[in-house]
Amino acid sequence: MDTTALQTQPEVSADSALAGLRLGDIPLRQTVELTHIDLPPHEAEPLLERGVLPGCRICPVRSSPSGDPIVSIDGSLLALRRETAQCLCVRLLTALKG
Amino acid sequence: MGALHSEGESQAGATALLGEPGDTPLVAMIGPPNSGKTTLFNRLTGLRQKVANYPGVTVEKHVGSVQLPDYRELRLVDLPGVHGFSARTLDERITRDVLEGRMSGLRAPDALVLTVDSTRLESQLMLVEPVLELDVPTLLVLNMSDELKARGGSVDDAILADRLGVEVVRTNARLGEGLEAVREFLGRVAVRGPGQVQRNATNVPEGLALPMMDAFTERRRRVRTIVEAARFVPPRPSGPSERLDAVCLHRVWGPLVFLAVVVLVFQSIFTWAVPLMDGVDFLVSGSGEWLATTLPDTWFRSLLVHGVWSGVGSVVIFLPQILILFLFLGILEDSGYMARAAVIADRLMYRVGLQGRAFLPLLSGYACAVPAILAARTIDDERDRLATIFVTPFMTCSARLPVYALLIAAFIPNEPLLGPFMNLRAATLLGLYALGIVAAVGTAFLLKRTLLKAKAGSFLMELPPYRIPSPRSLALRLVDRSKIFLKRAGRIIFTVAIVLWALTQFPRVDAGPPHIDDSALGRMGQLIEPAIAPLGFDWRIGVGLLTSLAAREVIVGTLGTIYGVEDGSDNSMDLQAALQRDLTTGSAIGLLIFFVFALQCMSTVAVMRRETAGWKWPALQFGYMLALAYIGAFIAVRVF
Repeated sequence: MDTTALQTQPEVSADSALAGLRLGDIPLRQTVELTHIDLPPHEAEPLLERGVLPGCRICPVRSSPSGDPIVSIDGSLLALRRETAQCLCVRLLTALKG
Repeated sequence: MGALHSEGESQAGATALLGEPGDTPLVAMIGPPNSGKTTLFNRLTGLRQKVANYPGVTVEKHVGSVQLPDYRELRLVDLPGVHGFSARTLDERITRDVLEGRMSGLRAPDALVLTVDSTRLESQLMLVEPVLELDVPTLLVLNMSDELKARGGSVDDAILADRLGVEVVRTNARLGEGLEAVREFLGRVAVRGPGQVQRNATNVPEGLALPMMDAFTERRRRVRTIVEAARFVPPRPSGPSERLDAVCLHRVWGPLVFLAVVVLVFQSIFTWAVPLMDGVDFLVSGSGEWLATTLPDTWFRSLLVHGVWSGVGSVVIFLPQILILFLFLGILEDSGYMARAAVIADRLMYRVGLQGRAFLPLLSGYACAVPAILAARTIDDERDRLATIFVTPFMTCSARLPVYALLIAAFIPNEPLLGPFMNLRAATLLGLYALGIVAAVGTAFLLKRTLLKAKAGSFLMELPPYRIPSPRSLALRLVDRSKIFLKRAGRIIFTVAIVLWALTQFPRVDAGPPHIDDSALGRMGQLIEPAIAPLGFDWRIGVGLLTSLAAREVIVGTLGTIYGVEDGSDNSMDLQAALQRDLTTGSAIGLLIFFVFALQCMSTVAVMRRETAGWKWPALQFGYMLALAYIGAFIAVRVF
């Protein structure tokens, strides 16, 4: 599946050492590209409807008082559970900060 | 799911009941949540809207009429906000059924108005394709276009219209801007002929061989291409919204703000509503007394004053409380805070097996379980939704308050408990509230480990930018709520009051009403007395329990009637004194506990049947709650 057509070419290609990267591992304000959703279809569908699709760019902007991620995607804010964030495989667009 | 909405009422019958002329065009308003769709609907219809109540069911569907420029009328239906047509949530199923013309009483719409938030155009346009696939004339409304511009964003709507093949207009529904263009579109809607094929509302069109993920990715690609062609410049993030979130979702401040909001809502229901309730009470009892002195002393006066007036009055008194609660909930929802509250509540709810979205129904449950159960429709996980609506009636609704107030005043001494801070009566009331919460939490915990066992689902919550709620929309919502509440109060309480009164009048003795012990009502109570004797209740309380099956607060009026009639004079016996004579403190506490647990509410049972599409869940809920109530009261009588 050609997901790169959705986006302009990423500036930095994913480091093979970071291939197992999940959204839950990403620090705040680091934009990443979603590569794969590791969830069964019925659980993935609400994400898909809201535009959380392979190829989209996600940026964790805040964490909730209980430590769950709040991400920005296509200008919308979306709150997830950290368990869900661990099922979203991502790759870096720029080198990891820090 | 078709069976959910076609319960034996024929299409033609339901149509006739709603008085829908076949030649009036019908337009459905559709859009994602928080796109301003309902605000636009309210702007277009104003007070010319009603909550359609179909025969025997309680589904809330907002239908309004719009006066067109050429003085024709057009019917507008406001659908729930949805992200797609997966039919995962009840809201999505309702939307799908209306669009496909399978909702009884509504034929398939002749045209659609799709409202999107233009500040989030890209993700919101994901709904455009499945809507256009319905092949119905559609108007795309770019709402909140003022906000898009103010935050430095822009879009060329001519190109957008051209690429999508639909008409596009810009509006600011909150300020009422751009409505003429929408009205102009509505003016051109014609009734579709019967020959036109109705297509299905789905996320992934049938016959498309692609797996779901790929179908969405393809759709996303097309949306991206269109949005880029229309030179969409996304707006800058909203500064004020970010600053508010820095507080409302802060590790320390967030939960504190949340707590403050919950306290404020409670405070408003229980203290600020009191003067208003006193006012309503004054009006009802005043007009009742006026009737009593004006009408001649006949059976009709007795029926009207002792039956209808006191019965209906005992319920109408809750109107201020319910309106204040809905005003607060409306402000919380329209301002965008409710989504944040759900996020904060999620972890806590998750621990007992529910999810963040359950927060709104459970909070609403403190006023009334019926709207609360309807509010649970947004919960996307079916098991979570069932668990939530199963435990919602444990929340202490306002109908329990008059029962609690009567029994506490009669049996609990007014002694200080914690110095000046709390007395024994307030502590008892608080304890009853706490008991309800414990029962709800325990039941949810139990359910999610037995009948509704499932692996932890996901929780997804979109956080819309904070917005100032539109007073107009809030006011319309309150008018709406009052109508529903009064209609229900009217129907149920009115009927119960008349039946009760009649049961005290028969069988006739010497052409007069019988002694209460020998009346039909008295005999019914005596029939169930053996079952409730272990709880220390006599047949009078038994009658109260029977009538309160209709609605909890009815027991107060019933006991008033029984003791009043028993006394034989017009001055009814002091109800508190009468209860103190007939109940021990232990059985009074037992009765209080019975009311904490028992599902004494016909409306709740009806709405449960509706929302779960069958009798299984309401029957289980009723039996379970009754068993808890009986056991609770049984223990209380022996402990106190």
